[in-house]
Amino acid sequence: MSESNGTIVSMRDVKKVYEQGSIEVHALRGIDLTIQKGEFTAICGPSGSGKTTTLNLIGALDAPTSGDITIEGESLLGKSRKQLSQLRRDRIGFVFQAYNLMPVLTAYENAEIVLAVQGVPYEERHGKVMKLLADVGLEGMEDRKPMELSGGQQQRVAVARAIASNPAIVLADEPTANVDSETADRLLDMMETLNREAGITFLFSTHDSRVMDRARRVVRIVDGAVESDETKA
Amino acid sequence: MQGTSLTVFAWRNLWRNRRRTLLTLASISFGVFLAVLMTGITDRHYSDMIDLAAKVGSGHVTIQHPEYLDTPTMSRSVNGMEALAATAAANPQVVTSAPRILGPAMIATANDSFGGMLIAIDPEHESADTLSILDAVEGGEMFTSADDKGIILGAKLADNLGAQIGDRVVYTLTDRGGEMTSGVARLRARVATGSPSIDGSLSMLAIGALREALGYGPDEATQLAIFIDDQRRSGEVARGLRSQLPEGATALAWHELQRELSAFIAMDTGGATFMQVVLAILISAGIFNTLFVSVMERLREFGILLAIGFSPSRLFRLVILESFWLGVAGLVMSVAVTAGPYLYLVTNGLDTSGLLGGEMDIAGVGMPTHLKVGLFPASALLIATAAMAATLLAGLYPAWRAGRVEPVESIRMV
Repeated sequence: MSESNGTIVSMRDVKKVYEQGSIEVHALRGIDLTIQKGEFTAICGPSGSGKTTTLNLIGALDAPTSGDITIEGESLLGKSRKQLSQLRRDRIGFVFQAYNLMPVLTAYENAEIVLAVQGVPYEERHGKVMKLLADVGLEGMEDRKPMELSGGQQQRVAVARAIASNPAIVLADEPTANVDSETADRLLDMMETLNREAGITFLFSTHDSRVMDRARRVVRIVDGAVESDETKA
Repeated sequence: MQGTSLTVFAWRNLWRNRRRTLLTLASISFGVFLAVLMTGITDRHYSDMIDLAAKVGSGHVTIQHPEYLDTPTMSRSVNGMEALAATAAANPQVVTSAPRILGPAMIATANDSFGGMLIAIDPEHESADTLSILDAVEGGEMFTSADDKGIILGAKLADNLGAQIGDRVVYTLTDRGGEMTSGVARLRARVATGSPSIDGSLSMLAIGALREALGYGPDEATQLAIFIDDQRRSGEVARGLRSQLPEGATALAWHELQRELSAFIAMDTGGATFMQVVLAILISAGIFNTLFVSVMERLREFGILLAIGFSPSRLFRLVILESFWLGVAGLVMSVAVTAGPYLYLVTNGLDTSGLLGGEMDIAGVGMPTHLKVGLFPASALLIATAAMAATLLAGLYPAWRAGRVEPVESIRMV
């Protein structure tokens, strides 16, 4: 599952061009980026700089116009829709800005769904999900539907869903954008703890200075190119 | 707390827009309700008609001379009726059988004469269960034996002839050699069925008396009328018997003998089937609309599911399962909606005499004026299957559309 040198994500000269009618929009102009196992990295930059496109490409939700992306050494090029969905299922966790939980499922079921899709036996996944929900501070709320939870609680469920299958990396798109600062701090505390104690690799796309302050590495993208890449001591 | 299975997920999705789902279920129920009533009326009505037709003359299956159907003369007779009856009785579907002589005859009194149909029966083998007109015998007595010398006439024929009970009636017909032969009988009773064609032309003799007049042997007749417990198996029983019969005899199902009635039923059933297909298409369009709108409203959600690891085929299955649940719930509601009216119509029926303008018959078979329903189990299964199939088919395109969602377009991570 993991590459021997610990590289989780590798982007090599990745370009992405969108065609809007007859106009070509160069979203990414040759990105080179490597994410190592255990990193807690934030990609920042102004709106339209290409950070979301970068996350979409790493998450195999979109395909680059040129260049190559590997996840744990496995190239995404030439993979079918089915193979990409399997890769997302097994190796990538997503945390979205708007939580994006399934409204008809309970907190428990939302966290469990990826494991169910993976075919993990019920007994095994039940124990794991219950522990995960306890770890993210939702003990006793397993049976609540998303609309019965606060924004912060919903985002905790989303984090639990993202890490339930032990993915190689969790891609978090503006995870603190829709919550108040106190909740944002608690969410970041939780993700930092998961990163530090469970070794889960996080990659954020963010405008939030709190996320950038906590990140141990900050990659700044401007106009589709990496402007700076700083690792904190 | 149960695990998250796709079926549970689909079931809950179905109830996200409760009003829309209930409206769709109502349309399914309405369709099934109409289909059950239409088919139930058809099943019961035609089954009754066929049973009645069998009891009016020739049974559900008839053993007769192979040429009798095209040339119904007295020379086309069959011998060995008792042995043939034993062969028929060996089939578990067969309830009973009765030998008969049928043919055209001229009936005359001192006042007048009319042509009509003559049936000679053995009273020991006949009852109202084999010859329904025996229920309509009035104003006299039934034959006491196969050699009884009396005659029974249709009430209208008797009136036309001016014949009273006890009057002498002369019957004339051609014998096996094509010669005219006559017999004299006393009017024993009248038959008043309500069917104009029967009451106006029927005459009945005891089989022994006619055998004597025709020069037939003691075990000879023009047909053996066979009655089975389910008219739908007439063809099967006839085919089975055909292979066991001696030369000079064949077995025909009711629909091969009563072609006019059979054609009427086929035409009417075909029309009803067409109407049901139209109904199914209209209802399927409603189901399609519900499922398609439901899918289009959830494209973002499908994008999320694809992002977290659902495959396109799993999304396809999810929407198909929603169709499946819609079908199942629709059938459950259909049963609830249909059961009451159905049971009422099974027992009480609908009085259609006003619509029909009184008594009427088709191919000599009286049409029941009280329309009762009675759905064959096979028809019920067919309706349920058709409702499920229509629901699943209506879900195919929405399911395919769900599987084609591009996650990056539907999620928009910005």
